[in-house]
Parts: sequence; structure tokens; C-alpha cells
Amino acid sequence: MRTFVIRRLLQLIPLLLGVSLISFFVMHLAPGDPTALFTDPSIDPIELARIRANWGLDQPVIIQYFYWLGNVLRGNFGTSYLTGRPVLAEVIERLPATLLLMIPAYLITLLITIPLGVFSAIKKGSWFDNVVTVLTFIGMAMPSFWLGLMLMLLFSVQLGWLPTVGMRDVLAGNQGPVASFIDLIKHMILPLTTMTILSLAGLSRYQRAAMLEVMDQDYIRTARAKGLPERTVIFKHALRNALIPIVTIMGLSLPGLFGGAFIIETIFAWPGMGRLGVLAIFQRNYPLIMGIVVFSALLIMLGNLLADIGYALVDPRIRYGKK
Amino acid sequence: MQSIKVAVFLLLTIFLCGCVGTGSEVNKEISLPGLEKADPNGKLVFALGGEVSILNPILSTDTTSSAVEGTIFSGMTRINEKLEVIPDLAKSWQVSKDGKTWTFYLRQDVKWHDDKPFTADDVVFTFNAILNPKVNSVRRSDYIIDGQPIQFRALDKYTVQAALPKPFAPFLVRSGMSVIPKHLLAGKDINTAKFNRQPVGTGPFIFKEWVTGNHLKVSRNNNFYRGKPRLAEIIFKIIPDANACLVALEAGEIDEAGIPPKDYRRMKSLKGINVFEFDSLVYTYLGLNIANPKFADKRVRQALAYATNKKQLVNLVLKGLGSAAYAPSAPISWAYSDQVEKYPYHPDKAKQLLKEAGAENLEFTILLNQGNKEREKAAVILQQQYKKVGVKVKLRVLEWSALLKIVNVPKGPKDFEAFIMGWSLGLDPDAYSIWHSSQYPRGFNFIDYKNAKVDKLLKLGRVTMDKSARKKIYAEIWQQIAADQPYVFLWYPRAVVGINERVGGLSKPGPAGLFLNLEKVFVVK
Repeated sequence: MRTFVIRRLLQLIPLLLGVSLISFFVMHLAPGDPTALFTDPSIDPIELARIRANWGLDQPVIIQYFYWLGNVLRGNFGTSYLTGRPVLAEVIERLPATLLLMIPAYLITLLITIPLGVFSAIKKGSWFDNVVTVLTFIGMAMPSFWLGLMLMLLFSVQLGWLPTVGMRDVLAGNQGPVASFIDLIKHMILPLTTMTILSLAGLSRYQRAAMLEVMDQDYIRTARAKGLPERTVIFKHALRNALIPIVTIMGLSLPGLFGGAFIIETIFAWPGMGRLGVLAIFQRNYPLIMGIVVFSALLIMLGNLLADIGYALVDPRIRYGKK
Repeated sequence: MQSIKVAVFLLLTIFLCGCVGTGSEVNKEISLPGLEKADPNGKLVFALGGEVSILNPILSTDTTSSAVEGTIFSGMTRINEKLEVIPDLAKSWQVSKDGKTWTFYLRQDVKWHDDKPFTADDVVFTFNAILNPKVNSVRRSDYIIDGQPIQFRALDKYTVQAALPKPFAPFLVRSGMSVIPKHLLAGKDINTAKFNRQPVGTGPFIFKEWVTGNHLKVSRNNNFYRGKPRLAEIIFKIIPDANACLVALEAGEIDEAGIPPKDYRRMKSLKGINVFEFDSLVYTYLGLNIANPKFADKRVRQALAYATNKKQLVNLVLKGLGSAAYAPSAPISWAYSDQVEKYPYHPDKAKQLLKEAGAENLEFTILLNQGNKEREKAAVILQQQYKKVGVKVKLRVLEWSALLKIVNVPKGPKDFEAFIMGWSLGLDPDAYSIWHSSQYPRGFNFIDYKNAKVDKLLKLGRVTMDKSARKKIYAEIWQQIAADQPYVFLWYPRAVVGINERVGGLSKPGPAGLFLNLEKVFVVK
């Protein structure tokens, strides 16, 4: 297991280099450059050329890449064009808010979808299964921005129970730790609800399908034939096997936790990574885009590694490091 | 399947109930609170539609950052409700007879937010920083005339002199640039200085807090030279989604939001919100690439103008919240003139002109930027209107940067036929950078407009100091441009702003906004 993990970690280096090289060129293929957005008739184009040169954008892309890479190897990811601040600081600054929203959403989704999928599968064709199916399809069909706005109109404007947007009550002065924690939770409810409703749909369908497939397997019949109680058959024999596809999907969605959720963050004015990334792309803020790309690539690779380790834990047939 | 339908219906019913407003459709009067009810500890919450990037007025390029900077910094001059330049940090100024030497006499009672005195050195430092090629300021060209920089120097502690290489009328408006403190920035790399995130200014409010992506706070400057502000604090809340912003206004969480035409009636009927409307210095146009053989003939461009039903556009796109445009100026500008060819809607005339020009089978593509709902709607309507005169129009929607890349490429002939865009007009009528032939292909004359008379007048407009003489010059320019019709001018939108009823002390609604005298704004308890 240890050699497997070390080998996989070493593979990260050439992978990251490849990712950074390709994304650097692809990024420069997109039309426009950071100064293209300054279309103010009072700005002389000569000034824009001067600013581009100050940023090194007058150099060939390959030179720019090696210049960037050289700096990265020395731990310097450059400065954002628009804020003049270090890229790393800008990315890391967004992490707490992003994780604060994404991790609970991830956990709540897991806690709800697994039982939902399992029970739907066991009670296949029952009214429970049908209601869940209908609701999940509705959940899948709703656009997130629409659902978010509707929840806001209902719970904030009509009922006045919850705040609309943001992470905290900006009018409140210095609150105590308890009050500010409650304030934070209040602000989290609507975005979390929206995210959960939307992701519930897909995952519970996967879980249901996986469970149905397992329930047809020979070893389940054997377990029943042995006279094991139905509880043991379902939770010990069936569920553990039915979790494998879910672990894959959840592992693959791990990096998404760090990437944030652009639409939700935009609707609920949540200062997460998704908004930072999309804005950086619109602004052609090259150093910031690269910082986010490298960072997310690293997380995706680590997420995959975690998923592989997860397999070994749930599936006795998979063991690494032995040939 | 039946059960799905029922469930969807139920869900929709629940949500629609949530949407219906409480008030009935009433066109209520604007009610502003009286000053006697002002809360001395009042806090005002503004919404910002985008992220704030940097709080240094010589570096920022986005309106969001400028909105916050406007509360923290101030300049030698500012504008009033009539868009006239009035004194601010400068008590008065004078211009030499030849129009080349401007002398500004500064107030002596101004202190920076860190209590250091404000002097002429700060002003000179600010303009020199902008002119420094190492500083990434896009404002540099504002202070360079025909390749020569304006020389700024301090005559004494409170007198600044600007020596211009030649007379330049737009300079007065540009003298209002916000001033930055020399004592905090001298010898530093301004592009990356820590100052840009914790600014110190001379304005009515002092920078207090910036939580990236979430909010910013500024608090009252008790020593503000124009008088102590009535608000204790202003909070800028970042809300990127325009719909969410309106919901937040409705819920009373923010005090101000721009209202798009589609929400106008609903917002107007709501209790607790005052809706203000005013004209803005903006126009939207259909640009026709004259360098493209399809639009080289003036008659084709005029035909399209006759084929454009501007009234219908204003009604359908802006729900009537705007007016038809005929010239590259705005009716509220002092330099506007009505004496231009207006090309009233006349499809038969359009057909005839197209026939004369041999362009009966004209086909072209309009480029427009994705995400701008008004332009998207307008493009579809134009497509229908032009179809009536036998012109086939294709639409191509592009991301903003991609569109700019095509129309703003620094090489001619440019590879496009037409596009929809808008211009925000400056306070000074100078339109050299948009219409002078030297500004193509490098510059903002995207469509290769060339007219010797206009070129000459544009230059004259810049060096003429007398306002009434300038007014005549610009009237002539607008007339000539309208005759040549390089753009089909579409509309002037009306700005619509919703403000919570608890806010008072607003300035007269106008293109300068409602918060012109921020120190006078208050909220009631």
C-alpha cells in the first residue's frame, strides 16, 4: 500500500507539468487579453501596449511559460493583474468560505442519498420508491439559480426567517462567538438546501441502481439461503458492495469541493473559489487562472488517489501493492 | 407520468405564491424622510455587482472599485448635479490667456485620514505617479497631449500649477482625478503596494474593513472638510447576481439596487422602496464597418437607419424606459444638439436607398456580447425590422473578450460587418478617440470612420476653451456624423434605481447619481 501511494505521488510531478504546459497554451489561445477589457475611449491604445509589456505579455508564449514555471518552482505564483496581490494569497483566501459550504453539502448529500437509494432499491416499485423517483427528477430538472431565488423569495422576503445573501450580517457589530456562529449557520441554510436538493437527485439514482444490481447477485441469494436475517443481508452483504460505484463518484467529486460552485456562489453572493475562477477567466487574469488550474489539478489527482484507497477499504477484492 | 405532472404543478404553485408581491399596482409618490429623524449612528448598505479589485484610484479600471474609492478619496475638482465642474480640494483655479497654464489654489484645512496634512506635493505626486510608465495606470494618456506629458509642479504648499504643451479643454474634467497620499506611497512600487488594500484618502469616509468577495466597510470621517458626514458607516455588500440583488433590496438587506426594465413595474409597486428614474450619459448603437465593402456606400447605412424602428426597440427592449438616439451625444450633455438628421422610420425610403446603392440583397452578420439581455433582444428585433426591407441579418453572440478582440484588433481592415455596443460618455464632449480618423485601426474608431471636416472640428473642439464656441463645434460634429451614419444610433436608456425609503439626503436624480453629496446622506432609525 505504501509503495503504491508513493509511486502515485511521484507520478504527480510529470502530470502537473503537463497540465500546466497545456493549460498555459490553451489559456493564451482564448481571444483577448487582460487589457482588452479596458475599452474606455479616453484610454490611448499605446498605454495598453505599455501595460501589456509591463506584465511581460509582449514576449512569446513559450518564453512566458518558462518564466512563469521558473517563478513557480521558486514558490512564486505571480501577482494578479487586477489586484496586484500574490496569486497564492488570493486562492488560499477563498478556501475557508468554499470548504465551509462544500463540505457540509457533500456530507449532507451522502447522509441522505445513501439511505434514500438503498430503501428505494429494497422497496422497488412501492409508493415510497415512486415518490422518491418523482421528487429526484424534479430536483434534477430545476435550474439552481431558479431554485435559489425561489427559496430566497419564500424564506427571506415572504417569511423573513432567513437572510438572503452573503456569509454574515454586515450590519451587526462585533458579535460574540456564539452569535456569529448562529449568524453564519443562518446564512448557510439556503445555499446548502439548494445544493443538496440539486445533488440528491443524481446520487440517489446511482445508489439505487447499484443496490438493485447487487441484490440480484448470487452471493446475496447464498446469504439468504444460509438463513441470515434480512438486515444482515442488506447492510453487511449488499450495501458494502453497492457502495463501490458511489465511492468512485464521490472521490471524483472531491476536487469539486475546492473548486466551489459558481452558480450557487453567484446567486447567494458566497465568496468562494468558483466565482474567483470564473471571474479570472473573464478578465483573462493569466497568473490567477494558472494558480487556480495548478491548484485544482493537484486536488483532482489527490482526490483520485483517495478514491483508489477508498476502494481497497470497501472492496476486499481490491488490494494494492501486491502482484 | 401523471404523478410527475401533479407534483410539478404543486411545486410551482408553492413557489408562485412566494413570488406574488404584497402591494397592488400603485404608482406611488417618492417619499423621502426628513432630516430630523436622521439616525446619528446610521449605516447605509450598498450592493456591488462585482468584486472590488483594488482600492487605488490611479490603478483601478472597474466601476465597482471606483464606487468604493469615491467614498474614500477626493480630487481637486468634482461635478455637481448639472454635471458642471466645481471646486473640491481646490478652492479655485485659473487658466492663463493662452489656455496652457492652469493654476489650482488648494484648501488649507484638509487632512489625510491618518491626520497628516494634505498639500500640493500630494497632488503633484499623484499626477507624476500616473505619468510614470512603470505604474500600470490606464489613466496616463489623460495627461499626455500629442505625445507630450502635462508638467505638474507645486508653486507653494497649497498651489499647484499644470503646464500643458498646448491648450486642451478636456483637462478641466480630468483635474478631478482622486489624489493619493505621497507620504504613504513615495518610493514604493505602487502596482503592488499594501496601500491598495488599506487605502488612506481625504474623502468623507475612512476605510475600515475589506472581507474579499463578501463586503467592505468605510466609516465616517469626522474631520471631513465639506462637513461631518451624517452616516456613521457605509457597507458595500458584494452581490454578483442582479436578481438576488433585487431580492435583497426587497428583504431590506440592502438600501439601493439598479432595476432592470423587466422588474420595473413590480419594484415600483412595492412598499418601502422609492424608485428613481433619470437619464444617463450612455447610448447603444449598431456599428457598421465602413472598411467592409458592404457598408462603404453611405446610402446603405442611411437605408438601415430608415429601416430601424427605434420607438419599437425602446418599447420592447427597455419597456419604454429610454428614448431613441440620433447622435453620438446624449440629450443631457451640455454639448448636445438636436439639429441632426433623424432618419424617421420609413421602410419604403430604406428600400429605395438600398436599390439606388445596388444593395437590395444585402446580407450581414451582427456581433454582440453574450449575457447582455437588452442587446440580445434588440438584435432579434433588428433582424425582423431589416427583413421587412429585404435585408438578411445573421446574429453571432460572443463572449465579451472575444467580441472586443474582433472589433478592437489593431490591424485593418477588420474582419467583421456590424456589431451592437454602447458608449458611456465622459463629462467632457470630446469624442476624438471614437471619431478621429487617426484612431483606426489602433483605437476606438472601430469602424474606420473618416471625415476630414469632423477630424478638423474634433481637434478644434479640444483646443477651444470657450464653452459656447465649443457647443457650436460639437453641434456641427454631431450633424456631420449623423449625416454619414457610421453607426445606427439606437437608444438612450433611462437609469432606474430603487432605494429603501429609510434613506434621505439624496441629491437631485440625474446622470451624476443620487449620492453626489455623500456627506449629506442619512438613514432614519
